[in-house]
Amino acid sequence: MGAHISIPMYQRAVPQRYRLVGQRCGACGKINFPPKAVCKYCYQGTSFEDVQLSGRGTVYSYTVIAGGGAPPEFAAEARCKGSYPVIIVELAEGPRVIAQMVNPPEEGIAIGMPVKAVFRKIYEEEGVIRYGFKFSPA
Amino acid sequence: MESVAIIGAGQTKYGDFPGLGVKELFAEAYLEMLQSVDRGLEQQRIGAAYIGSLSAGSGFQLGQLAPLLMGHVGLPHVNAARIENACASGGYALYSAACAVASGKFDLVLAAGVEKMRDVSSSKGRYWLGVSGDTEYERLAGSTFAGIYALMAARYMHEYGLKREHLSMVAVKNHRHAVSNPKAQFRKEITIEQALKGVPVAHPFNVWDCSPTTDGAAVVLLCNAKIAKEFTDKPVYLKGFGAASDYLAIHDRDSMTRLLATRKAADEAYKQAGVGPKDIDFAEVHDCFTIAEILAYGDLGFAEEGRAQYLLEEGFTQLDGKLPVNASGGLKAKGHPIGATGCGMACEVFKQLRDEAKEPSRQIKNARYALSHNVGGSGGTAAVFIYQRGDA
Ligand SMILES: [Zn+2]
Repeated sequence: MGAHISIPMYQRAVPQRYRLVGQRCGACGKINFPPKAVCKYCYQGTSFEDVQLSGRGTVYSYTVIAGGGAPPEFAAEARCKGSYPVIIVELAEGPRVIAQMVNPPEEGIAIGMPVKAVFRKIYEEEGVIRYGFKFSPA
Repeated sequence: MESVAIIGAGQTKYGDFPGLGVKELFAEAYLEMLQSVDRGLEQQRIGAAYIGSLSAGSGFQLGQLAPLLMGHVGLPHVNAARIENACASGGYALYSAACAVASGKFDLVLAAGVEKMRDVSSSKGRYWLGVSGDTEYERLAGSTFAGIYALMAARYMHEYGLKREHLSMVAVKNHRHAVSNPKAQFRKEITIEQALKGVPVAHPFNVWDCSPTTDGAAVVLLCNAKIAKEFTDKPVYLKGFGAASDYLAIHDRDSMTRLLATRKAADEAYKQAGVGPKDIDFAEVHDCFTIAEILAYGDLGFAEEGRAQYLLEEGFTQLDGKLPVNASGGLKAKGHPIGATGCGMACEVFKQLRDEAKEPSRQIKNARYALSHNVGGSGGTAAVFIYQRGDA
């Protein structure tokens, strides 16, 4: 039993999940990702301009999820790989995002290491494969 | 604002009870609460009831759980509502009840919590545990709360030199405390070697860093302090209560080594009570994962941020230390029936401040002020309470 993200709900976030589109606040100029209705930095701005994020950043923190820590919809992945890394990335443009890491270095993940976004399969629900961003060492 | 007192408290044993459903668990805690009111209670005087639950019996009664439960204990017409803020549901039920009494609208109000987690498969259980975080991004990164707290632990280690051993010291301490608590789910000591070598869950956590899934219920009776002595010579005063929120998603927060929701809730509670961290004689804090207790030391003002681990090294927070934390065993070993946890902490404090924490004794002597701390998920919500013994 997975977290239920309906197909329309997933589709509404395609600009973020496929292309990392953030929003530049018209009031303070800072970049929000994922989008907010009111800017999370100045609590004022309500008009935004779309900006394409570079997908480049550094590891802010990391974990490695083993079978017992995986949500049910990722349990098969954890079983097949043994475990998978999940990281928080501080993007070059400022915001932080959470995602899985692919091809982690053999010596282990280190806080501060540079990474770049890659487009990957995330999981499958309702017979539809959901795609989105993960990160690989840069 | 009216002053608030606790005059009764009861809870089930925490654990795995195939023979008991949500209604039976609630009723057991409710009847124990009634028993605990020294001079008895005419139950029709209860004006309102707030009941915390996340899954309402793993989805069995998502709507209108509160009237179902109150009808089961002979109060079908009381003003009753379910309160939900994930693992802080019980704390928010207590907070709502305290506000209802403080407003002067009601003299007697019930705060309760119940969770039935052990009826469902482990996969369905993890479903319920995973839908209170940020579902859109955290969850789709393949993370549940274990992963999110693990990310906090890794960052804390990086910033402040926290060691893997410090995490295990929390588990060892709380398991040792639970041995003396007849209500606890796991009454067995573990060694530091064991705690360091459990099955991996989410690096740096192994299974000993995580609280269990638990069935249980807890019920607390609050009243206007003016009439408390009508019911008992030993009321416990709820001197301060605070609650606050934060961004649900960890990546939206500035810091991963503190919970701002806890800090704001604690500020509110300390201010209202007119006391500070140094006045607290013992505390029940939200140790859903071992790092959570370490974060709590900083957020509640027991230690400076980044220096919490030294309290563990010094034994400051053990039962015989200067500030015992989680004398009950905590979520880690007493158990964590999500919606019940916040009220279960109040039950422990009620017992301790009335010198009734016995069989065998884990009684903290000469305590005057206590604190309890309940967190929703990874810190999207938090509630903090400050209690004062009332028999002096
Ligand atoms: Zn702004």
